[in-house]
Amino acid sequence: MDWSQVPELTWESNKLGVLPALFGLIISVPLGIVCVRWRWLYPPVLSTTSVLYAIPSLALFIVLIPYTGLTDTTVIIPLTLFSLCVLVPNVVDGLRSVPDPVRDAATAMGFGTLRRLVQVELPIAVPVVIAGLRVAVVSSISLASVGQLIGVSSLGYLIVDGYQRAFLTEILVGGGLIIALALVCDLLLVLVRRLLTPWRPRRTRRQLPEVVAEPVPALAGGAR
Amino acid sequence: MRFLSYAWDWLKQPAQWHGPDGIPIRILEQLYYTGLSLLIAALIAIPLGILIGHTGRGAALVVNLANAWRAIPTLGLLTLLAVTIGFSAVAWVSALAWLIPLVVLGIPPILVNTYEGVAGVDPELKDAARGMGMTSWQQVRKVEVPVATPLMVLGLRTGAIFVVATATIAAYIGLGGLGRYIIDGLATDNYGEVAGGALFVVVLALAVQAVFVGVRRLAVPAGLRQQARRT
Amino acid sequence: MITFEGVTKRYPGGTLAVDDLNLEVPAGQTMVLVGPSGCGKTTTLRMINRLIDPTSGRILLDGRDIQQSDPPALRRGIGYVIQQAGLFPHRTIEDNIGTVPMLIGWGKAKSRARARELMKLVGLDESLGRRYPHQLSGGQQQRVGVARALAADPPVLLMDEPFSAVDPIVRATLQDELLRLQAELHKTVVLVTHDVEEAIKVGDQVAIFRPGGRLAQVDSPERLLTAPADSYVESFLGFDRGIRRLSFLAASGLSLDDTAVVSASTPAWEAAEHAARTGEPWLLVTDAGRKPRGWAASVELRALPREATVGDARLSPYGHTFGVSTDSLRAALDATLLSPAGRAVGVDDQGRVVGVTSYERLGAAAEAAEPAAEPSPSGRS
Repeated sequence: MDWSQVPELTWESNKLGVLPALFGLIISVPLGIVCVRWRWLYPPVLSTTSVLYAIPSLALFIVLIPYTGLTDTTVIIPLTLFSLCVLVPNVVDGLRSVPDPVRDAATAMGFGTLRRLVQVELPIAVPVVIAGLRVAVVSSISLASVGQLIGVSSLGYLIVDGYQRAFLTEILVGGGLIIALALVCDLLLVLVRRLLTPWRPRRTRRQLPEVVAEPVPALAGGAR
Repeated sequence: MRFLSYAWDWLKQPAQWHGPDGIPIRILEQLYYTGLSLLIAALIAIPLGILIGHTGRGAALVVNLANAWRAIPTLGLLTLLAVTIGFSAVAWVSALAWLIPLVVLGIPPILVNTYEGVAGVDPELKDAARGMGMTSWQQVRKVEVPVATPLMVLGLRTGAIFVVATATIAAYIGLGGLGRYIIDGLATDNYGEVAGGALFVVVLALAVQAVFVGVRRLAVPAGLRQQARRT
Repeated sequence: MITFEGVTKRYPGGTLAVDDLNLEVPAGQTMVLVGPSGCGKTTTLRMINRLIDPTSGRILLDGRDIQQSDPPALRRGIGYVIQQAGLFPHRTIEDNIGTVPMLIGWGKAKSRARARELMKLVGLDESLGRRYPHQLSGGQQQRVGVARALAADPPVLLMDEPFSAVDPIVRATLQDELLRLQAELHKTVVLVTHDVEEAIKVGDQVAIFRPGGRLAQVDSPERLLTAPADSYVESFLGFDRGIRRLSFLAASGLSLDDTAVVSASTPAWEAAEHAARTGEPWLLVTDAGRKPRGWAASVELRALPREATVGDARLSPYGHTFGVSTDSLRAALDATLLSPAGRAVGVDDQGRVVGVTSYERLGAAAEAAEPAAEPSPSGRS
């Protein structure tokens, strides 16, 4: 096994996992805010993201090839779109999780709409948004490996190479590292959440990640 | 639209529509892999989800599962099994190389959503059922499962997404189906074939979703549908 | 001072929440808006800080039409307390209280200092300042809510059912706190409640609303109890209106009797003779400091040996006392009813006995306050 490439491949996997989640966040926060303010926008937005989510990643990579070639961008764009399916509902739910009395009190104290959003509502929404980010990052890291099939390098290379040489160890290393990387990022985000929300009660009810929303799928992302 | 023109150039050739590598066959293959895997996954995940949701035991397992399985790379699982199982003379054994990953990746969304659906039934409802003298089994059958139906359908729908996607990628380890065009086309630098395959995959994926929207309409009692939509 | 001129609020569906309201809220006093659900009291309150805008009519704050003010600016000058406190979960108590000061630009240090001042004012331990809302009890959270509303020292304080969500004991304590704060700060307070007892307890003026958003009567609590405007107000005020009126009559109006009061050191035979002369069946025994110790039965005193003092006799508990200068006639009546001797003990601020009441004296005091009127032609006094 050639270990020399592993650091670089890991970095690639990391990049291809984190960037889509980050871009997804940048898009979904304003989008989510808008969907909360104008409720009628939410169902169509949700439907659109779900439709996109339903399309296999490989197919989307291929659709983009004529436009963005065989570059990282070809992988990043579809993964960003997938992350929207998770992040937009989480932003919306997070904002809606702000208790009405809190919002009422803020307005009554003289907070303007924008200030209230930034100083009160978004900070309170952070835990829910981070829950979505965790899903987005983990799924993106895992999905990015599929990009190897169109030649976009990541830890998936170890899997593909391992398969071609029938070299089980390499496959296991590749897969194992992807999983490990995903879990490390997950834990880092948990840490970030702890730092950002010192106000949260520690012993919260052990709950499923606040991602599985109904009725339209805010879906637990997975390797596809 | 460059992508579409490539695809069109390829699929308008009549040759694509005939023979063992023809489009109709591939579509059917894809549907077969998807359907079978989803069925098996459902047969495992739904009862399990109902059991865990009703009794509450093993809930921690489900929670951790929901977090962890997303990290598993499809390609990794497929190639792992392909290399391990290899090629066997016995047909169904080599089929496991793709069947196992498809089922394994299809189970979690179905399990998680079924569990959520059953466990999330209004406790007052469950209480009323117990108070009326229903046995455990009756409670499950008459109250919990019907109320959990929307989430169960959602779980199946989500599972379908992953199974279709995994089946597409499974072409890499030699499976048939629409992914075949993509893999073969990439190998031969025939972007037309690749695009055509991708196009059909997209259409198929959307069609499967549409089917589930229909299933929801049929399976979910009208009262619950209304309630769910009011979000 | 807040003035409502012909204010009406009609909702798009046609619901009339407030109907042609004309009301003056005097400055520096507590005005309580009370009424059943759907009577428009909360709507009225929320129109003062423009959380709701009227459909027609004007609202003046110190002479200025509030429509002319930018809502956020207006609200920063008005304190607002709600039922569930609405504390920011993501901020410490200190920062919660200091919210409006920081909003108007005081700076963190000054705001936090002010917050600590206010915590003392509302009776919260300073150590709670760095905690988060979820770590406090319901009653404590409500106090924080009040402190927060007072932080920027607004002249006006709006309170929307502020004490409804806590249990009765905490509620009584918080109501007392409000009275104490008002005595010190003299803010213009408008408080909404559905509890008429609360209205009577804390209000300087009480406005009773009818369903449909119309005013039934605006008056001081005492006048409301004395002279309800119509049968709606009467039934809204509830039963035993007469007895509740007694809360507004001072116990200091009672003439107290100290004939039945003897010191513990008095010789028993002397006390017994005194009791026989005055015809008192019971004597109140006090200690050297003139604090009450208990009731002694006169017959028992006669049976005691010659050298015994009153203090040696078997004493019954003296029961409940009332403060002569601080309590009401109602408290005195209550104490009398509870006392085994049928007589209550009136004490001064140091707890020393001033005298005792009797049912006759209570009756006389009640009658003197509201003499029985001659029957009027309309049949009502």
